[in-house]
Amino acid sequence: MPTSSLRYRTFREKAMKGLFFLSAAFSLLALGAIIAYLFASGIPFIAKVGFFSFFFSTTWAPLATIPQYGVFAMVLTTLYVTALSVAIGASIGLLAAICLFRFVPSRFVTPLRWLIDLLAGIPSVIYGLFGLIVIVPFIRDYVSTNGMGYGILAASLVLSIMILPTMVSVSYDALKAVSPLYYEGALALGASREEATFKIVLPAAKSGIFAGLVLSSGRALGETMAVIMVIGGSPQLPVSLTESVRTLTANIAMGASELTSDALSALVATGVVLFVFALILNLSFSFLRGKESGHV
Amino acid sequence: MRKKIAKFALTLGFIGILAACGAKSFDSSKSISVTTREDGSGTKSAFMELIGLKGQSDVSNVVVATGTAAVMQEVAGNYYALAYDSLGYVTSDVKKLEVDGVEATTANIKSGTYAISRPLSVIYKAAPVSSSALDASYLTFLKSSDAQTIISNNGYVSLTDAATAYTANGSLSGTIEVSGSTSLQPLMILLAAQYEASQAHVTVEVSGGGTGTGYTNAENGVSAFGMISAEFDATKAPDCVSSIVAKDGIAVIVNPSNPLTSVSKTELKNIYDNTESDATKIKTWSQLMSA
Repeated sequence: MPTSSLRYRTFREKAMKGLFFLSAAFSLLALGAIIAYLFASGIPFIAKVGFFSFFFSTTWAPLATIPQYGVFAMVLTTLYVTALSVAIGASIGLLAAICLFRFVPSRFVTPLRWLIDLLAGIPSVIYGLFGLIVIVPFIRDYVSTNGMGYGILAASLVLSIMILPTMVSVSYDALKAVSPLYYEGALALGASREEATFKIVLPAAKSGIFAGLVLSSGRALGETMAVIMVIGGSPQLPVSLTESVRTLTANIAMGASELTSDALSALVATGVVLFVFALILNLSFSFLRGKESGHV
Repeated sequence: MRKKIAKFALTLGFIGILAACGAKSFDSSKSISVTTREDGSGTKSAFMELIGLKGQSDVSNVVVATGTAAVMQEVAGNYYALAYDSLGYVTSDVKKLEVDGVEATTANIKSGTYAISRPLSVIYKAAPVSSSALDASYLTFLKSSDAQTIISNNGYVSLTDAATAYTANGSLSGTIEVSGSTSLQPLMILLAAQYEASQAHVTVEVSGGGTGTGYTNAENGVSAFGMISAEFDATKAPDCVSSIVAKDGIAVIVNPSNPLTSVSKTELKNIYDNTESDATKIKTWSQLMSA
């Protein structure tokens, strides 16, 4: 009896080990499959169109009589939208984190953080709806000079709200990780509370805050649904903040269920470009995080 | 004290801004906010083809609305929007414009006087459908007088005259798959419901995806019937044949606050044409109204 029980236990152990291994292998396999698919069908298409005309032509017209596949305008729009939304969202987020960290009475911090985190749980389509119904008409009627509410400004405002929770919680944790001795030491040397926070604690939390910036950029770069609803969607060069333009993500989502053959491959190729951007952001995030943990 | 006054003034100012949001009237000197559908949409390709811009890329600064509901929402909410949509989808939240002096009505589409109309069809592989009693019966139903009543009662145009009533076949059971054009989808759902009511053991699954999906699904046998909302293009599905279910007009729509009542096909072409030179381009509403 004891031997069979032992045998059962070793068997169970092995089975579970196998299960864990399979699960780990599955996630790697999924990653590998997506990358393989993207590159296997995207790269040959880019090569066919020509690397230069794919990246630097500004005309995207996959269904025109003479199809043209230039993503430059959309790459530029994506970069503008990401930069502007991170500039707005991250500044507000960082100041909010500092406020929570230093100037809000501690019994309010937990409920406030909970509320801010709640923003992260709102589905992106709801942000899009809010943008479409509130932000776009407001910009069209009161801000825009050309009567267009859609565009980079609307998308950046919506995205800046979406990246707030990421920015606040990452920066708050980074500030929290700075030894309180820094702050107290600064006060002891005669610095005011503001000086101690902004000139001593903030620089010490720098790499954590940068990590927050990179994470926020990733969110802004990859967001699709909310952006589609407020960006307008015309694949043209962005020259104004209130003008119908199109990001890379919007380009893929708008055409994915309708386009076929070459036009569909063009979307996959757009996906490759987006993937490379996301990869760069992720690598810089891991780099920053590595630096941070080595530092403290 | 001073702080309190400042706060009060700020609140008043904010309320003022909010109140101003409600009251604005149509200003014809504003530019036309040209709205279109996404690439691959059957309504878009039909509209562009019908106004003479087949295969051209979009005019600059166009707003791309993904789906017919998004078009309705955009036009209902934007005073300066100009858009087009299937007549069957146009609600009372927007205003239809006459095209070349002809109103977009069922009668005008059937008679062919309204310029912007197109066929809505199902496509299928002839052999498997005629050999399956189930699929063949659905095709018969689509041509029956029961189907024609639903078609004309819902704003579409029936082309089958002198149709006979559908007689149910009690021995049939199973599932019929229909997918494709979102322009035909709402009508197909109504037709399918009527068919299911007479054929108790049959389920008809109607899904969307667009005309492109309709072609690929019918060609690859994913669904027995594909729905398309443009003239049948045999090169996209060489193994399939098509059968017209109904005709659909594409209405040109504006916001109800817009005083404009009529537009010409030439003006539409000018507005949606990306090759039109800057000097002759129609940009504002007043240009359309003075014409």
